[in-house]
Amino acid sequence: MPIITVNHLKKHYQVHQKDPGLSGSIKSLFHRKYYDVKAVDGVSFSIEPGELVGFIGPNGAGKTTTLKVLSGLLYPSSGDVSVLGYIPWERKPAFQKQFSLVMGQKNQLWWDLPAMESFLLNKEIYEVADDQFKNTLDELVDLLDVKDLLKVQVRKLSLGQRMKMELIAALIHSPKILFLDEPTIGLDVVMQKKMRDFIKDYNRKFNATILLTSHYMDDVKELCKRTIIIDKGKLLFDGALSEIIKKYADHKLLTIVFSNGVEQKDLEKYGVIKEFESPKVVISVKREEAPKVAAKILEKFPVEDLNIEEPQIEDIIREVFTGKDVA
Amino acid sequence: MKKYLTVFHTSWQNEFTYRLNFILWRVRNILRILLTYFLWNGVFLQNNNIIAGFTKPQMLTYVFLVLLVQSIVLSAPSGDSIGGEIGSGELSNYLVKPVGYLRYWFTRDLSSKLLNILFSAGELSILYLLLKPQVILPSNLITILLFILILTLSSLIYFFLEVSTRFVAFWMPEFTWGFTFLTLVFIETLSGMIFPLSLFPPFLLFMVHLTPFPYLIYYPISVFVGTISGISALAVVAAMLFWLVVLYKLSKFIWSRGIRVYASEGR
Repeated sequence: MPIITVNHLKKHYQVHQKDPGLSGSIKSLFHRKYYDVKAVDGVSFSIEPGELVGFIGPNGAGKTTTLKVLSGLLYPSSGDVSVLGYIPWERKPAFQKQFSLVMGQKNQLWWDLPAMESFLLNKEIYEVADDQFKNTLDELVDLLDVKDLLKVQVRKLSLGQRMKMELIAALIHSPKILFLDEPTIGLDVVMQKKMRDFIKDYNRKFNATILLTSHYMDDVKELCKRTIIIDKGKLLFDGALSEIIKKYADHKLLTIVFSNGVEQKDLEKYGVIKEFESPKVVISVKREEAPKVAAKILEKFPVEDLNIEEPQIEDIIREVFTGKDVA
Repeated sequence: MKKYLTVFHTSWQNEFTYRLNFILWRVRNILRILLTYFLWNGVFLQNNNIIAGFTKPQMLTYVFLVLLVQSIVLSAPSGDSIGGEIGSGELSNYLVKPVGYLRYWFTRDLSSKLLNILFSAGELSILYLLLKPQVILPSNLITILLFILILTLSSLIYFFLEVSTRFVAFWMPEFTWGFTFLTLVFIETLSGMIFPLSLFPPFLLFMVHLTPFPYLIYYPISVFVGTISGISALAVVAAMLFWLVVLYKLSKFIWSRGIRVYASEGR
């Protein structure tokens, strides 16, 4: 039984346009030109309990909009959505007690008070029992290593520390489903790593279903067995990250180090030259021709080193998004 | 409703982190009261009769009571926050939780009201000891109960009036401040905050009564000082109940429409 099902979800917005400058502002007072933004345009997927799924796509792809519909913040233009058996935008308390939404750029903590006050308030809002609150809090504080920060005014915390507190506030009611929107945005490399470890642990320990959006590939590569790629409101791919390579990469990369100089034009007939920094050259060749081409080059040129590699996932995805080379 | 009790005391703590703002806000209120007090004192020196239906003690009591009544009715941090929260997408924080947005904010208002009541009671005592004005107090318990009932209705009317205007932010997030100022101007001029509305010429007085504003300050105090009593006081209560229902329904209606166009912006 899937815990989340989304069927042909569409969310279209009307956005008004304003010409630049003051005259444009005055004009827009009297009549506004509207255009339709198809933030989500016919997306379907379903997610099983305990899955950790990554949502990737460029800015404005529709990732956050999808999460907002799943959390009940937005009413869809059309389509069916069921989360834990509820229709999210009815915002039933019984549903709200079972999930949490964390947005990397939004905070829910009371800025002028220590984070502990926000946790206590959430405890009451979610009607968490005293001993359960204590256990969950201890566990989270331990996992995130923030014991000394609980009594510090939130405004005095660093971004990384605040993000940890935001997570605690979001998890204090032990949600079954967690929507994480850009959880690592703005964090330094060390904090990003810690955040990833935490998400992974949390998923494993509590068997929580987690949906996360990110535009850092590392987040997804490290965390998610399953990836959903969307762009311009449409679903492009849904499956294991390694499948993307098979599906989209119709070429391989030959990296060759020559023992003495070669001319670029002598190599052009073998494939597309991606990099030419004599003596090192990277050539992109058709997947099935890679061994043949490599053999030919070895035969014709003095080669010191030769490597046949899959292209980087980042590169493939970039090509998918820019509409090039989609097989 | 333990969750709202926690909202109440968390909000109370939050008010204390802004104590300097709070004290300056109180100072502003006191200065205004002093100004009108000296004005009316001067006017009654020239003419010791009845002005706009008020005797001198009634008028001076009116002036002082503005301090208390506005602390109760108009203390509402919700008005400063709701529009902004809708425009910035912060509303999302509440929408995902099992908490009522309006109940949440009304609770925070109550917390602010209590703080302001305590302060205004202290200030009134000090002002009374310093100025020793002639004031009158209600002679019977019924008037006091009626005053409390009307103040409760006034606070609720103000709350729903204010949230209805702030919900405009669902459609025009950049216009919230404009609307806030507009309601503020109406409240300052038409609620009786500066002088009793009975000073208005009849036509203007009639027009003002087509709005909910006189019920915020003018009527609660008029009942307290006794210029309105008996059947007229009951008519006031009836009119207030009417406005309360209208504004409550209006705010619910605007909310239910607004929440459908809410875009949870800011990302």
